[in-house]
Amino acid sequence: MVVLLFLTITTLGSDRLPQPLRRLQPFLPWAWILMVPAGVVLLAGSSTLQTVPTRAWGGLTLTLLLTLASGFLALPFGIGLAIGRTSNLGLVAMLCRLYIDLMRAVPLIAVLFFGQLLLPLFLPVEIEVNRVLRAVLAFALFAAAYVAEDVRGGLQSIPPTQAEAAAALGLNGSLTMRLIILPQALKIAVPALTNQAIGLLQNTSLMAILGLIELLGISQSLLANPEYIGRHLEVYVWLAGVYWLLCSGMALLAKRIERQGPLSTGS
Amino acid sequence: MTIAIHAQSVSKSYSDDHRALDEVNLSVNLGEVLVVMGPSGSGKSTLIRTFNGLESIDEGRLEIVGIRLDSNHDERQIKRIRRRVGMVFQQFNLFPHLSILDNITLAPIRVKKTKKKEAEIRAMSLLTQMGIADQAMKHPAQLSGGQQQRVAIARALAMDPEVMLFDEPTSALDPERVKEVLDAMRTLASAGMTMVVVTHELGFAREVADRVLFMDAGKVVELSDAKTFFSHAKEERSRRFLNQMTN
Repeated sequence: MVVLLFLTITTLGSDRLPQPLRRLQPFLPWAWILMVPAGVVLLAGSSTLQTVPTRAWGGLTLTLLLTLASGFLALPFGIGLAIGRTSNLGLVAMLCRLYIDLMRAVPLIAVLFFGQLLLPLFLPVEIEVNRVLRAVLAFALFAAAYVAEDVRGGLQSIPPTQAEAAAALGLNGSLTMRLIILPQALKIAVPALTNQAIGLLQNTSLMAILGLIELLGISQSLLANPEYIGRHLEVYVWLAGVYWLLCSGMALLAKRIERQGPLSTGS
Repeated sequence: MTIAIHAQSVSKSYSDDHRALDEVNLSVNLGEVLVVMGPSGSGKSTLIRTFNGLESIDEGRLEIVGIRLDSNHDERQIKRIRRRVGMVFQQFNLFPHLSILDNITLAPIRVKKTKKKEAEIRAMSLLTQMGIADQAMKHPAQLSGGQQQRVAIARALAMDPEVMLFDEPTSALDPERVKEVLDAMRTLASAGMTMVVVTHELGFAREVADRVLFMDAGKVVELSDAKTFFSHAKEERSRRFLNQMTN
């Protein structure tokens, strides 16, 4: 994972790369996507590794897993909400708007608490949804509302003449949205979506309060260890460094996505 | 069917006192080139946009390539019309995120279910006709205005329309670029395409138009054959307009 991180940052940071490294570039997005199941395997253990209950998952791997899993769920859901909001069916549009407004009116910590503490109360005793899954769902549902608004901004910036041209050619609403409007809108929404991603990464630290020992939780438990009393400065500087590294990595990735492709405005 | 477009008492209002179209009656014959002229706000763009359903009508009836349209704005009928009527816009409206080739092959592949290879061959042939075959792999932003508009024409032609609508195709172009687009349109007209062109280009109209429709404030002022219109227009308003345009 560290290798992957290092590779990502170095390849994105510079445009002048030695040949061998350059060839790896197209694989990077796939590597990140595969991180999610790989992370699960690493954390949960498998036949060769020691099996670990999800309650005991932790560390940087958990932080990344939470961020990636929630992100991959929130993105399609958010896009769906944004499109649903513009639907001609009044009920669909209203439900989407309600969901977005509700989720944005509530602080994330409340949603997380609800997911972790209150949800089990509502479900019958037999269904025990594991803690990490609950966290991922809570993050995803929360972030989706913000993603929806970011995408809506993108959608609104597409001139109506694009849809007119598509209609004049005989393309129906769904094809127009899928092939013409959405690709352009998402490209425009990348800066806003990057914000969401960075925020999501940082917000995973809230799970430290709710019993998951991710990155922040690890530092807390480090400091609680009698052997390391007094090493606060060291731990927090290191913590800040790791978060900085991760967030910068995301920002660089976003810059690269913006620069590539015909819609790049160049910056 | 020898009449491509037939409009009967077509009216459209935006508000109580603003009639965009006022009892418009006209017929466009198959193979004819009709040029529509008039001052701004005369309703000429609105009229041409009712022909492919981009604008709805409040009263009256339209019959486009045999398909009926009225104030009900039936989506299914409009879809059928759009498969047989192509449109070229003032601002080109190319899809910026696709290559030129993809811009042209998109609709045939997705709407007419043409095979990709076949669509690409046809697209290249159209681009060659337009004189810009070497631009096929570029993106719209890399082309000049004149080139983009020719791509737009090719894109509309790729659907094999029976009628082509042009909404001020050269108004957004630099003067040097206007000629290349008008030439393309002239070639299209000689090939026998039914065209309705909203334009201010008098030279083009004089040479290529079969008939001229002059509109003002949503009403049809005059509908004459081109020769008559440009030498001795029947209506006083038409003559005044022509005078203004040539001075």
